[in-house]
Amino acid sequence: MNAALQSLITRARESYEAWLTNGRPKVNVCIDTSSLARGADETLRIIRETVAREGIDADIGIIGSWGFCWMEPTVTVRTAGGTRTILYGNVTPDRAEEFVRRVLVDGEEVPELAIAVVEGVSNEGIVPLGEHPFMQGQVRRLMANCGIIDPENIDHYLARGGYEGFANALERTPEEIIKEVLDSGLGGRGGGGFPTGRKWDFLRTATAEPKYLVCNADEGDPGAWVNRILMESDPQLVIEGMLIAARATGAREGYIYIRYEYPLAFQRMKVAVAQAYERGLLGTNICGSGLDFDLIVFRGAGSYVCGEETGLMSSIDGYRGMPRIKPPFPAQAGLWNKPTNVNNVESYANAPLILRHGAAWWSSVSDAKDKGTKMFTLSGAIKQMGCIEIPFGYPVRRLLEQYGGGMRDGSVLKGFQPGGPLSGILPASEIDLPVALDPYRERGMFLGSGGIIFFDQHTSVVDLCTYFVGFAEDESCGRCTTCHGGTQRAVEILRRMAAGGGRDSDLDKLEELTRTLVWSNCLHGQFALTTVKLALRYFRDEFETVIREKRDPAGVLSGLIRYEIANQADPLLPEAADICPTDAIVETHEGWTIVDELCVRCGACREVAPGAVRVVERFAQPAAEPTAAAAR
Amino acid sequence: MAAAEPSLEELRQLVSEFRPNRGHLLPALHKVQDTYGYIPRSAIEVIARQLNTTPALVYGAMTFYAEFRTHPPAQTEIAWCSGPTCRILGGDRIREALEHTLGLPLGGYSEDGRYALHLGQCNGTCSEAPQVWVNGRVVGRLTVADAIRLARRIREGA
Repeated sequence: MNAALQSLITRARESYEAWLTNGRPKVNVCIDTSSLARGADETLRIIRETVAREGIDADIGIIGSWGFCWMEPTVTVRTAGGTRTILYGNVTPDRAEEFVRRVLVDGEEVPELAIAVVEGVSNEGIVPLGEHPFMQGQVRRLMANCGIIDPENIDHYLARGGYEGFANALERTPEEIIKEVLDSGLGGRGGGGFPTGRKWDFLRTATAEPKYLVCNADEGDPGAWVNRILMESDPQLVIEGMLIAARATGAREGYIYIRYEYPLAFQRMKVAVAQAYERGLLGTNICGSGLDFDLIVFRGAGSYVCGEETGLMSSIDGYRGMPRIKPPFPAQAGLWNKPTNVNNVESYANAPLILRHGAAWWSSVSDAKDKGTKMFTLSGAIKQMGCIEIPFGYPVRRLLEQYGGGMRDGSVLKGFQPGGPLSGILPASEIDLPVALDPYRERGMFLGSGGIIFFDQHTSVVDLCTYFVGFAEDESCGRCTTCHGGTQRAVEILRRMAAGGGRDSDLDKLEELTRTLVWSNCLHGQFALTTVKLALRYFRDEFETVIREKRDPAGVLSGLIRYEIANQADPLLPEAADICPTDAIVETHEGWTIVDELCVRCGACREVAPGAVRVVERFAQPAAEPTAAAAR
Repeated sequence: MAAAEPSLEELRQLVSEFRPNRGHLLPALHKVQDTYGYIPRSAIEVIARQLNTTPALVYGAMTFYAEFRTHPPAQTEIAWCSGPTCRILGGDRIREALEHTLGLPLGGYSEDGRYALHLGQCNGTCSEAPQVWVNGRVVGRLTVADAIRLARRIREGA
């Protein structure tokens, strides 16, 4: 192994070992965006203050995410002797002081908050981590350090096998590295699945100089946060992957483009890059190998289409983030019209594993056609919103039932959406589809970058289409009329439908739009109406009911429902009137009434006075109408 | 509320580290916004000169992105999460309620500059859905009634 790198790794191992065996108990709090949303910074502060006040001899630190996002803040507690580590969940600020007293002062465990035993034997009904239902069947390779190391300490990464893949890469030719990556079968993790090794080879064989690498960390698909988990929990893994790519392709400069909405990931990557520079792992003549590579952490500014690789490059170049027309492809003309390779965070993050353990090991994780493991985040009307890493091939049902904990109480699965707003929705009957690229391609959609969203019977498909197409409209760059005009037109039709103005011709119009938008320049326009296309295939009845009967089976479309007083005697009516944001609930000499013109169907009244107000269909059923009209 | 715009000299100093054709436009805009909370109009020309480009290109690029502001932030910035899990769990009804309680559309500022309502993008804190962010802090697992009470407190200045 490269001598300089060897000595870096040895020193890091020594300091990590010394820290692990210093005889002090360790309390590590997960600090990531999900845990911060539940007050983890307060939890950490209270734990630190309590320890200082009580004069307890303990190490208090931070870790990244274990993926148990619905149980944040998570905390690990390791005994002084290092024989036992327990992972706890829901250590919210109000529980933090008592928690830390119990684990550090009284030296006991807190079974009611315990998730699992990470190290040591199981007892008192706390399961070993591997036997926890959320962990069974997961294969944590990319996430091997997530929740274990301090993401702001490069030594932790180096001590646990970090940069060994890069060390192996330094001993190989660029061709050999690319062959290893090709042999592994790694496909682009942003959703395209294009062989990463081939992309690298395009850049390697490009003739112009300089060459650039870009890491696409613009994870803009709402409901996907796998890249965020990696960057916030193990940022060095991404840097090492880019270094391997630099060695393989001859690129001397790289950019990590992180979306604006991820300030913590941006900060963590900045810290990680600075530490890599300090250790000589970035910059000129890296570890004496002759390799030069500079890495810049770049912050986006709020634009979904910058996740499209050419839009992203326009953005770095300093223009509106508009996707370019291909060809030329990035490997020919990318950043500043120079050869450039763009990969997703997770694609780069796999490279260190492949180079460290070999392509055969990497691809042997399952028999699935798609090789390697993939991270997914699960959300929607489910019980457990979290992040998992699994081999391809598991049925989506398993993701929902085992990892997602099933649907929430009172919710029945109506459908799901893999792959973000440009992908499409599938009905509950497709829940046994495997997590793999082909089945979704065959259905004219894609598995995408890792977010899977489950929706229930209270979700209107017309509303979901309005939402996703509205998103695509908002984020269209404006170049192609098919895209910016087409999405706008589709949203108008969907909104009119939801307001009760649906026409028989609307479905044909929507279908024509889905056929027209495929002529847009980039993926954004080409796939902007996938949701509509699939919804019309799988949920056509619902559209027809909304159009013809002016009735919403989900009971939510605001133009098709009406609120009315259900019980004049309900004592909570004044409270319902008080909460109404538009003062639509009024008391007249004939009793309480809801002024329909004012009511915005927000439902707050039903929350405070469930028995007093009810939702009814706004348009009477056709059969009943003539008699009602005749009576007047 | 409108603080005096920074002087040209101050702005020139602030962006003096940035260079043309090095991917420095977004970093320069971020630095200005991080410093003042928004991009003052005069900064457009200063940045253009520094990066050897035109104010039109700087302005054009800036307005492409949702997060650059040409308006100073309000005292209380409310961002409504537009994400899919929030939507599935009733988030759009929360938007209706917020807009009506505050008397603002998404992207609107109150006349006195005390509060503003924005559209926020999903950042994967979906276990808190439906949620809003008040000056960046998550207020999650909201009912519509919770959101109305929160908005009323902000509106009344409590």
